[in-house]
Amino acid sequence: MTDPAASPAASPVAPLVAVLDDDADLGASVARLLARNRMDARAFTDPRALLAILPDCAFGCVISDIQMGEMDGFAFADALRARDPAVSLVFMTAWPTTAHAVDAVRRHGGIDYLEKPIDEPRLIAAVAEGLGWSARERRIAAMTAAFTRRERDVFDLLVRGHSNKEIAERLAISARTVEDHRAAIVTKTRTNGLAQLIALSRGEAV
Amino acid sequence: MIDLRASDLPLLVLYALAFALLHWTASPWSGAGFFSLWYPPAGLRFAVLWSRGARFAPWLVLAELAADFSAGVIDIGAPGLLQAVIGAMRPGLTYGLALAGTRGIARGKDDTFSLPPMMMGLAAVAAPALNALLVAPIDALLPADAGRYRIGVDIAISLTGLAVGDLLGILVLAPPLLWIAALTGGPRQALPRPPSRRAVLEDALVLSGCLLLTIALWRAGLGAQPAPGLLAGAWIGLRHGRIAAWLAIVAQVLAFLPYSSGRLDDATRLELHLGIAAVVLVTWLAGSFSDAQKTARIMLERRNRLLFQAERLKTLRAMSVAVIHEISQPLSTLAIEAGHLARATEHLDADIAESAALVDRKARDLSDLVRRLRRFGGRDVDEPSLLPVSMLLQTACQIVAAELRASGGRIDCLGIAPDLAVQAQEIELTQALVNLLRNAVAASPGETIALRAGAVADEVRIEVTNPLVTARKTDAQPLGAGMGIGLVIARTIVEAHGGTLVRQDDVDTARFVLSLPLVAGPLP
Repeated sequence: MTDPAASPAASPVAPLVAVLDDDADLGASVARLLARNRMDARAFTDPRALLAILPDCAFGCVISDIQMGEMDGFAFADALRARDPAVSLVFMTAWPTTAHAVDAVRRHGGIDYLEKPIDEPRLIAAVAEGLGWSARERRIAAMTAAFTRRERDVFDLLVRGHSNKEIAERLAISARTVEDHRAAIVTKTRTNGLAQLIALSRGEAV
Repeated sequence: MIDLRASDLPLLVLYALAFALLHWTASPWSGAGFFSLWYPPAGLRFAVLWSRGARFAPWLVLAELAADFSAGVIDIGAPGLLQAVIGAMRPGLTYGLALAGTRGIARGKDDTFSLPPMMMGLAAVAAPALNALLVAPIDALLPADAGRYRIGVDIAISLTGLAVGDLLGILVLAPPLLWIAALTGGPRQALPRPPSRRAVLEDALVLSGCLLLTIALWRAGLGAQPAPGLLAGAWIGLRHGRIAAWLAIVAQVLAFLPYSSGRLDDATRLELHLGIAAVVLVTWLAGSFSDAQKTARIMLERRNRLLFQAERLKTLRAMSVAVIHEISQPLSTLAIEAGHLARATEHLDADIAESAALVDRKARDLSDLVRRLRRFGGRDVDEPSLLPVSMLLQTACQIVAAELRASGGRIDCLGIAPDLAVQAQEIELTQALVNLLRNAVAASPGETIALRAGAVADEVRIEVTNPLVTARKTDAQPLGAGMGIGLVIARTIVEAHGGTLVRQDDVDTARFVLSLPLVAGPLP
């Protein structure tokens, strides 16, 4: 197991991948494989240790084994989502079942469900996809965090293509107020026009 | 009615001769309104029908008519010829009906009564009973001449006499004839084990005690009471099965028949024979029941052994799944590191690069193997899916390949249309096919087994055909004979898939036809 306290502090900028497997050798091996593919990865053997460092360390993607000791992969996924909804998940297992595969993707929002021995190209592709998804989720979260509740309402209707007048009617406010909210939204997001706002709402970088 | 083969003609000629002879020997026990209270030809007729199948009945009827005409039992010139001919044909046809009915009722049932020993016991009672019951209805359909059974004698007495005579004839004569046929007919029948001295002594004591009691009661003026004989027969039959029961029957019949052939009036003779019939019937049914129970017990033991095997297989499967898991964990690490090493050493010394590439390739092969093993053995539930028939047949052939090689035979499996598909549980259906192929290999060692598949209307028909090598055509064998547990399992699986499994033999080949609903549409 990699002791988080002993390991060098993670870069706050680069997206970080966590590899969780109770087999320390396999975890380390997968982490090194990712590192060779220019993905900063750290290995963990204990789900609780990983959850414990979450507030200080935002992971872009977590690769988790399903059959582990006290806490299985799905319980860990629930705990992880509760703490950070914008982290992506990739599952791997030595005991694949159809039921688990469906649960992994549908209930726990996994990007992929990989069977051991692991198919390397598929793992790399899944992690890359997970990192992209996580980045989008984080951008959307960061942007909408600065909005007031009313600005959020106006923003939601704007990016769905409604005019100022329609928004005013729907929210029962004056068109003038809608314009004020729109100006505040543009200022806070540092965007230039509706097209960029729509791109932002999809998590795309502008 | 089955086609008559040339080899059947000597049997029919022999039958006609034996029938005429036995008919003649029965005459001392005749009486008013019935031909004989002891009628061995019925036993001969029953034995032939039981071993050749009910559909052989019309040929027997013809042979009996020929015997009756030749021996002068039926006089062509006499009045009432039609009645006489119909009367001579009736027993053969009713026996055929009774045998077919008994087998039909027992088919598909799974209890003691449907086992061959018990079925034959029931048929032996049903055949004379049906024969006697149908006398009046058939006579009623004929022109109202002075029929044999219509004259003044009480019809109940005459029919009872008929049934009693037939029953005694069947139960005394048919069993040894069938045993002889079974022993000479094929290599499969093992000789029955000689009984223990203790069993013989026990039965002899019981029988002689009961005979003495019968004689004592008779001497005391109570007439020939059947109760002691019933007791002895039931005891011997239940304790030691059909062979002992038959010996007891012969002993009782030998004790009474010489006496009853003497100067007795009809009523006394009928009463005596009714008593003998009751004793014989109870003795034979008791023996049959005992043998059926024994057969059921053997089947149960075999099923228990199979269950034990199944449990072992389940344990083995769990162990292999665990092994797959234990291997796949370190193998994951090995495969990743081997891949890395192979790429990192590509530009190094050729020897090192080659070694690393080899390790990488082997790790990949092992990974593939583990995935494949997991797909076959690691599955808990065999879920129904769309399966190409050609793939199923191929897998089944691969599984029996080793046994086939050992027997020196081969499977001819060509020309299976690639677009045939069924909705099925792969593992189960493969098992059913494997069982059929195994049976075919076992039945025709060293021969070519044909495996064919095709669409007929909205069904897929899969046929497993093997040449009949030593065994003769076996349609007339008692139900259940030769039916291994493999076939039972195959049938259960096929029927669970909404299909059927039937046997359609030709003269020189055995063929099992497995039909399943055809699934239309493109294959996965």
